[in-house]
Amino acid sequence: MELAELTRPADRPAAGDPADRDRDRDRGRTRRRARLRARAVSFGMVGPAVLLYTVMTIVPVGVAVYLSLTDWNGFSSAAFVGLKNYRHLFDDPNSTSAWWVTAIIAVVGSVLMIGGGLAYAIVLKEKSRTNSFFRALAYYPHVISALILGYLWAAILGTNGAINNTLAHFGFGPVGFLFDENLALISLIGVIVWAGFGFNVVLFVAALQTVPAELTEAASIDGASRWQTNRRVVIPMIAPVVTVATVLNLVGLVRAYDLVVSLTGGGPAGATQTYAYVILARSFESTKVGYATAQAVFLMVISAVLALLVTAVRNRQDTDVAG
Amino acid sequence: MAFQVHGPTGRPRRSPVRPLMLGVLFVVMAVPVYLLVVNSFKPQEDILDNPFAVPFGDLTLRHLIDAIQSPQYNVVKGYGFTLFLVVMVDLFCIALAGPAAYVIARSLKRRTQTLLLYFLAGTFIPGAALIIPVIYVLRSVGLANTVTGLIAHDVASTLPVSIFLFVGFIRTVPATIDQAAMIDGAGRLRTFWQIIFPLMRPAVVTVLILNSIGIWNDFVSPQILLSPGSGKYTVTTAIYAGISQYSTDLTKVFPNLLLAVAPVVIFFIYMQRHIISGLTVGAVKG
Repeated sequence: MELAELTRPADRPAAGDPADRDRDRDRGRTRRRARLRARAVSFGMVGPAVLLYTVMTIVPVGVAVYLSLTDWNGFSSAAFVGLKNYRHLFDDPNSTSAWWVTAIIAVVGSVLMIGGGLAYAIVLKEKSRTNSFFRALAYYPHVISALILGYLWAAILGTNGAINNTLAHFGFGPVGFLFDENLALISLIGVIVWAGFGFNVVLFVAALQTVPAELTEAASIDGASRWQTNRRVVIPMIAPVVTVATVLNLVGLVRAYDLVVSLTGGGPAGATQTYAYVILARSFESTKVGYATAQAVFLMVISAVLALLVTAVRNRQDTDVAG
Repeated sequence: MAFQVHGPTGRPRRSPVRPLMLGVLFVVMAVPVYLLVVNSFKPQEDILDNPFAVPFGDLTLRHLIDAIQSPQYNVVKGYGFTLFLVVMVDLFCIALAGPAAYVIARSLKRRTQTLLLYFLAGTFIPGAALIIPVIYVLRSVGLANTVTGLIAHDVASTLPVSIFLFVGFIRTVPATIDQAAMIDGAGRLRTFWQIIFPLMRPAVVTVLILNSIGIWNDFVSPQILLSPGSGKYTVTTAIYAGISQYSTDLTKVFPNLLLAVAPVVIFFIYMQRHIISGLTVGAVKG
């Protein structure tokens, strides 16, 4: 403080009520300077992350909206075409059929993963070595690239795959798991569920372990069967987790791409083309980049709607817990 | 569940349901792995003729060795580049997300809090939809078709969930620790790296697992952000490029797929508990 007083400009008169106010002001000045420096350091700590994230994630969203209004082909300069690409979304059979395929995958896949996940979570919820082995067994595809899982299943389900070659021994003709239009979609959903339900099992086991034993005991004393206890007591207790899992599954499945590339390649005759697949493997590959980004923007909107649903559900859950 | 059989007292008797369900689970989950492993050591005729059998006389390491030494689309070479990507993304992600999360977690200002929401918005954007405009952005900053560009994009894609998990964790660390460090003369940056960061080990492990598995398995970003001309293949893009060449030659398909999954599966077996809890936390909270 003394130093500050000494360095006080001589032409500034000391205030009416002496030293006091002066000292306060000087103290304020050093404090302000320290605060400024702290702020600069904080800025330096947040800045790089914000910058990279903005340039690589937020700016591209804006760019996508811009490109979707042009006829850019990826090389030459882009001409503005207004909403043409968006109008095309609804009269392009590729695009509309992909929506159906995606919706079927998302809905059927989620239902099966939740159902299978719950059933196995109830069977595997007790803590034991056997159970953790089976949980890991159900879970392992989750850590493997979907692209590689798809190739593995193609080698099992294909015309020359393990199953058809074995069936041939018994005189059965090849089953078109991947080459029959309806079967191919069923196979795709089957592999998706196979790869994803283990994640749901783990999620539900964690939730089930928080359900107090007193509740299920009370139910069984009241004469409820195992099924009734699970149906009326346990599942309602973990309902919030089931909701979160549902939406996580939906959001994940709407983006399905890798597995489609490797398992069916979108075929036969486009029967398993998902929306993400159409964007990248059809529109983008055929250099209709402007149109591809219009589709991408549309997919983003759908994902955002589903994601807002997650947030809404989670918020409700939080208030439920609080209340 | 409904499958339980009940005695007259309402107490469940031992029912065949659990063994049955576990049996089905075992077959469905183990058979693909079995086929993958067994057929990696069999000649083409044996694979085609009897895919499920183990012909002890015919087993050979030749195809696996061929795959390891293959001059084209070599998966083992892909390990190196993929691992390099994983390490770079992990390093930059921690270096950027850590300090940012610290500032966000310790600030009481509303403005800083909205930053967290700003980052969280990123988790709502599907990667496959974003990748085309990312090419455009990379091109305009001169990073198109470069490994730097790919890393920049990958790091950015890991930031939202990482920052979210870190902020949640730092908020559980009492702020009195920071104050003690500051009284001892440490600045904010030093307080974070020397005092807070070492305490964040569980959160850091979760983030590292989440990012590493995500980057290792990623297919869309390396496939689209690095042109085949770059000669750089990750495990997934090497498999993708290779399969279209040798699709009918099962003595190439199986060994290459085995090589592609082996590192992750070994990592999974070794770190099972951390991975399962890490990936679950990451998905639910992110």
